[in-house]
Amino acid sequence: MEPMGKVLAITPEKCTGCRLCELVCSVFHDGVSNAARSRIKVVKWESEGIYVPMSCQQCQDAPCMIVCPVKAISRDEALNRVMVNHDICIGCRSCVAVCPFGAMGFNVIDRKNFKCDLCDGDPQCVRFCEVKAVDYVDANQVSLAKKKAAAEKITAAQRQAVALASESH
Amino acid sequence: MALDRKIAYIDLSTGKIEIKPIPIDIRRKFLGGRGLDAYLLYNHTEKGIDPLGPKNTIMVSGGLLTATLASATARTHVMAKSPLGGMVGSCNMGGFFAPELAWAGFHHLVIKGKADKPVYLWIHNGKIEIRDAKNLWGKTVTDTQWAIREELGDDDIKSLVIGPAGENLVRFANVMTGIKNSGGRTGMGAVMGSKNLKAIAARGTMDIKIAYPREALEYNKRFIDQITSAKVNQTQGTLGTPFIWGATNSWGGIRCRNFQYNQQLYCDDIEPEAIDEACTETIGPYHMTGCFGCQVHCRAKYKIPTGPYAGVYDEGPEYTSQGAFCGEPDCRSLETLLVGNHLVNQFGMDNLETGSLIAWAMELYELGILTDKETDGLDLRFGNDEALLEMVKRICFRKGWLGDTLAEGGLIASERIGKNSFDYLIQVKGVSNLHSDERATPALALNIATASRGSDHLRSRPAIDLYHLPVEVMRKIYSSPVPYDGPLSSEHTEYIGKPWQVFWHENCYMAVDCLGICKYHTTFLGATLPNFEDWSKVIYLNTGLEFTPREIWDIAERCNMIERLFNLREGLKREDPYRGDLLNHRYFDEPTRRGAPDVVGRVIDREKFRKMVDEFYEYKGLDKEGIPKPETLKRLGLDKEPSHLL
Amino acid sequence: MGIENEGLSTAESLRKTRTYGQVRCHNPSCMGRLQPERGAKQVKCPVCGCEFRVAWVKEGFPRIRGPVWDVNKRIAEEAFERKMKEEK
Repeated sequence: MEPMGKVLAITPEKCTGCRLCELVCSVFHDGVSNAARSRIKVVKWESEGIYVPMSCQQCQDAPCMIVCPVKAISRDEALNRVMVNHDICIGCRSCVAVCPFGAMGFNVIDRKNFKCDLCDGDPQCVRFCEVKAVDYVDANQVSLAKKKAAAEKITAAQRQAVALASESH
Repeated sequence: MALDRKIAYIDLSTGKIEIKPIPIDIRRKFLGGRGLDAYLLYNHTEKGIDPLGPKNTIMVSGGLLTATLASATARTHVMAKSPLGGMVGSCNMGGFFAPELAWAGFHHLVIKGKADKPVYLWIHNGKIEIRDAKNLWGKTVTDTQWAIREELGDDDIKSLVIGPAGENLVRFANVMTGIKNSGGRTGMGAVMGSKNLKAIAARGTMDIKIAYPREALEYNKRFIDQITSAKVNQTQGTLGTPFIWGATNSWGGIRCRNFQYNQQLYCDDIEPEAIDEACTETIGPYHMTGCFGCQVHCRAKYKIPTGPYAGVYDEGPEYTSQGAFCGEPDCRSLETLLVGNHLVNQFGMDNLETGSLIAWAMELYELGILTDKETDGLDLRFGNDEALLEMVKRICFRKGWLGDTLAEGGLIASERIGKNSFDYLIQVKGVSNLHSDERATPALALNIATASRGSDHLRSRPAIDLYHLPVEVMRKIYSSPVPYDGPLSSEHTEYIGKPWQVFWHENCYMAVDCLGICKYHTTFLGATLPNFEDWSKVIYLNTGLEFTPREIWDIAERCNMIERLFNLREGLKREDPYRGDLLNHRYFDEPTRRGAPDVVGRVIDREKFRKMVDEFYEYKGLDKEGIPKPETLKRLGLDKEPSHLL
Repeated sequence: MGIENEGLSTAESLRKTRTYGQVRCHNPSCMGRLQPERGAKQVKCPVCGCEFRVAWVKEGFPRIRGPVWDVNKRIAEEAFERKMKEEK
């Protein structure tokens, strides 16, 4: 079987909330600075200092693709992404309504939906995120990295337990 | 390429709102941000007005590069006549307000008059509405912002607000945005309060055109790399500004016990690493946050770990809070620092001024100039953490004789307290010094003495003077974009070459403030950070406007001069202890007692200091009294001010 | 004008002057470059005798956290007395 390819991997704890990803996304795609045009958005709980970058998950069984009445949305397996063909799209916004992540935007100026296209394989949000809150990695590495982080916590806890046990003697 | 940028004039007395484009020839003279605000201040205020009266005008702006790709273009600038010293009032803050204002369609606001009841401005996609702020009045800084979002039903609204301190007309009240982004110094919050203006809320989805998008993206990458690879910014990104305090205290440049010492001893608990540990414990390993577009991320997030405020979330503390709640009053508790920082953030009150004035009062109390009668029984000795925090609250709410008196700022307070209290007040132009002690660093002393908004490090401080840079490196920096072949010295205890450095930095920082960029992205704390040449490129790619590095320098010089014209109009006199380019006598009379062996025993030499001021005036084109020569005004195109072009 | 000049700016050209792994003695007349041993908690300036506590921003990136209080306080007091005598 073909490897699945790369995906956006978001680690919210690392996000500093600066929103440079939003700025570079809008400049790259639309040639203007306008966070409202960005495909990625940092959702914030400012009073607690929690920031979560949200973007398209490029779902396998993409609800937007399924719901589209004119089949304007399709999967591009080469880049592992879900794409909108604006020549076919009728602008009904069904995809916007159905996306569970709110990742399908609707631009009221151009009256078109818009979503992350992974910048054709060089996502600008990733390129500019120095803290790597947004990363672009092989799909199988996402869970691998998480496994490792969790395992580290377990071993640290184990070591602590051993140390505590030896101290008490 | 035409820049489509707008200025709005809002009269709170009449409710009249007028919107105009900003002509390009004005941009070419004053760039934007603070420079253009200074022009507007000079043109829209009359001589001698009451800073807290309806005739004061308050300017709110983003820079020329706000919301564009220039590393970090987050800064918001606010300007008016200062209620603290009567000179230029100016504050500059990070966060997310200015970009939102730009997306909402405005780069400059000019606010006049006074509303007859509390109001706030709602700015949304080219429209401005004056709204009732009855439900906001009395609220803290963050509660005000969350209430606006709820009222207008949009979580993405960014607001500039005042807290209780601004409402109570504390003369050093801040304008605030976010959790802790503070427009501090010179009491711009009090000016908003005096106009019954509680907040300015912005939300926008309008485009800011980028002249050459792909090239701007590529250059931004290079620009960011240059900025984030600097050691100083890597340290900032880990420890935040407290690292500056730590290093400065280590060699002996931190005020302690008002001005008795130049170092706080045995303060391990409030050192940057200790603060960092508390942040790690309460938030986690990734506890740094940043302003719009910035990859330096110098602001820490924390929860107060202990005591009655345990679990409360806030951000910072910056080095200014270490000065206010540690060094100056000589308190050494992390909890006091974190709580004090939280209080001033919520009240919207300048931490530097608050800490400085309380430390001054503590010295007066120990000297017997203030007694239990004036403090209403508060034991205001140095090192008394409880008294310090209590005093912060009393100032904000003007409680008790001393709370109400200190809320008036140092100049008025020293008149009320009387005796020789003024001799102990460490201020310039009515604005208290920050926490640093400049007796061992003549360049820094010249900076605070001549800064336009009163004692201030962010107007012209040649901080890299402390790095013992080789003269060849200094030569490279300081002889561009205008030639300089005079002397330079790597020794920060020296006097030679320093006036030029201060002049150079004055222009550098003005340019940054005009562009809306943060000072951590220029030659402030790092010698290898961008300046004039780099801006020439970044302005061109983002706006399409062509400025040579020299032209940017000339604009900065012009903008600094118009601030000086304002100050002169309002009574600036070279050696006036109240509103002059002068330092407290203690700089010249009391030698430093602590710090590195070469720092102890130092005073500023009066005669050499005078010569530095003379030389600095010469570079600026001022006469010996500090007044611009006619040819200088002509050269800078300021001979017909006020010109009322905008 | 502008980006056509692809050369390095002054700031960019100075980048190679950055020094890693070293700190400077905080005594201005000394300026000695100190290179703390990897992971060291303290460093003593061989030139002027000041001692500093060292913290590590990250591996290979030391910074002076603060003075060794007792040592530097004593040095400062001695220096102060000496200078005051000299002035008389």
